[in-house]
Amino acid sequence: MTRKNPIILLVEDNEDDVELTRRAFEKANLLNELVVARNGQEALDYLFASGARAGRDPDDLPHLVLLDLKLPLVDGLEVLRRIRADDRTKRLPVVILTSSREDKDILSSYDLGANSYLRKPVDFAQFTDAARQLGLYWLVLNEPAPRLGGSSRD
Amino acid sequence: VYVVARGRDLVRQHGGTFAEERTTILVIDDSTTFREKLREALEQTGYTAIVAPDGEEGLRLAATRRPNGIIVDCVMPGIDGSTVIRRIRLDAALRRIPCLLLTGSDDLGAEVRALDSGADGFVRKEADMQVILARLAAALRSAPTQRDETAGIAGPTRVLAVDDSVTYLNEIANVLREDGYDVVLSCSGEEAIEMLAAQAIDCILLDLLMPGLGGKETCRRIKALHTTRDIPLIMLTALEDQAAMIEGLGTGADDYISKSSEFDVLRARVRAQIRRKHFEDENRRIREQLLRRELEAAEARAARELAETRAALVEELESKNRELEAFSYSVSHDLRAPLRSIDGFSQALLEDYTERLDAKGQNYLRRVVAAAQKMGELIDDLLQLSRAGRAELRRERVDVSAIALAIATDLRSSAPTRVATFEIAERLYADADPRLLRIVLENLFGNAWKFASTTAKAVIEFGATHVDGTPAYFVRDNGVGFSMAYAAKLFTPFQRLHSEAEFPGTGIGLATVRRIVERHGGRTWAESCVGEGATFFWTLPTSKPGSRP
Repeated sequence: MTRKNPIILLVEDNEDDVELTRRAFEKANLLNELVVARNGQEALDYLFASGARAGRDPDDLPHLVLLDLKLPLVDGLEVLRRIRADDRTKRLPVVILTSSREDKDILSSYDLGANSYLRKPVDFAQFTDAARQLGLYWLVLNEPAPRLGGSSRD
Repeated sequence: VYVVARGRDLVRQHGGTFAEERTTILVIDDSTTFREKLREALEQTGYTAIVAPDGEEGLRLAATRRPNGIIVDCVMPGIDGSTVIRRIRLDAALRRIPCLLLTGSDDLGAEVRALDSGADGFVRKEADMQVILARLAAALRSAPTQRDETAGIAGPTRVLAVDDSVTYLNEIANVLREDGYDVVLSCSGEEAIEMLAAQAIDCILLDLLMPGLGGKETCRRIKALHTTRDIPLIMLTALEDQAAMIEGLGTGADDYISKSSEFDVLRARVRAQIRRKHFEDENRRIREQLLRRELEAAEARAARELAETRAALVEELESKNRELEAFSYSVSHDLRAPLRSIDGFSQALLEDYTERLDAKGQNYLRRVVAAAQKMGELIDDLLQLSRAGRAELRRERVDVSAIALAIATDLRSSAPTRVATFEIAERLYADADPRLLRIVLENLFGNAWKFASTTAKAVIEFGATHVDGTPAYFVRDNGVGFSMAYAAKLFTPFQRLHSEAEFPGTGIGLATVRRIVERHGGRTWAESCVGEGATFFWTLPTSKPGSRP
């Protein structure tokens, strides 16, 4: 069973990349709601319904987090660490989407429990293709962890 | 008077090279009485005396005044005499200053300790002042010379007797031969000087009054020659008066004997002079040994310092290198982000606004996209080059044939319709970093694939051969090849031998190959002829640790 328009949380500080990612998803016919966090703190606030997002329902979690590593305030690895450290969010699929192909970035991401690691290609056609496969896999094919004690089980 | 004359004589000999300057002697002793007594004796003898009450002041004076000789008391509060001499010997500027150690009575170990510390001689404190002065003179005499070992050390002791009277010569010869000396005779000063040039002599007996070159002139010449000036010279004369004696010593003679004396006196004097010479030679040898040891130590120290400096420089260079690599890496990364925007939004324009752009406008946009993508490739290749230089080298046994096969399979599947043959030698192994070696093979196979793309029946070969006794791997193609005139440029970044339209590329691949191979301690080279394909070779030495290029 898949949810209707599951939410994707895109953590990305580059406006162009946000726009291009949005476009890539549209072109790949992934019409899911895309929530954008411009830095690590915004992402954490959204996920944990804190700070500027204090009024949010903390159980209303996105179904996929696309996480850049180089971010202002709180960087991507720290966001990932906090996601994995919290019982409510520790099973969230997190895909690292970055321009780095540094060994240490890749290793740290996996060590902290990233589900996947994607390098943003320069060629937009390649990026669109990647976005399509990514959405198809994580939002359609992949069976997410059941939400224990939650009411949103379909 | 005699002692004073001898002293003056010896001082003159030593000071000869210092023109009219008086010889300065530093006395270090904590006893005021003894210090002043010695000062007085020294000044009477013609030295300039400076005194210090303790070792520290003594060392300070030695450094500032540079005395010609040092007499230091063995037992002092604070720094003792042996230590003072040791410090002097460690100072390059002072180490040649002759040092005499004054020792206490009944101290049997004093001699050994004195020589151990590098003293040129030792003398008992209660000895006659004359003895102290004589010892000082002997030390001063032998100080500036660094002659080779003298005859006395090896072979029998040889005495040269010079006199115009053959009768007297024969008498001397008989007496001295009885004492076991090897005696050489000469009838004139001229002949004696010639003989001295030809053989090693340990003591000279020289007649004062001779026809031709007289005794005084002969003595002067012997004492002027650095090869002969250290040979003890005893002047013989028939004259008895003191003036003659002092005059004789004034020419540089070490001793003076009246011909009318008993032969026993002559023998005793000869014995004493030879003993003195042996003592000096012994001293010199010890000093030279000490000096040699110090020099060796200094050399070892210098070598160590050099190695340390070198290591520091290498470390600094490597650190700068790493910095530079890290810089180029982050720059390359940051350059990619705007490229993505240029490419992405240009494509968006082409897709969403096609109808509003005419053919020309669309063409321009396509060029923008192509340029952005080209730059993306450039950056990616630069990143790979940077990684090739930075990545930690992890050597293991690698199945090179398997990597080559996998790459060939990838290439084939990238253009399934293309006719190309891969000939890959089996079971080739290397001691290398598998990831980096894969980059080498990817680049070389990629090139071969590219430059053979216009060949009807492309053949790409991978194998190993021996070049100058070293195993070398190679990738060969039958593509367009290149002129060997440009072979040297190939492995330099951004050097391309073909136009972008003919064969696209960034010109970084071979630079990456070379960097990786060099990090493995190997080398790269290529052979080709225009139109006849190209072969790229590389070696991967097994034992040699990889180093940064």
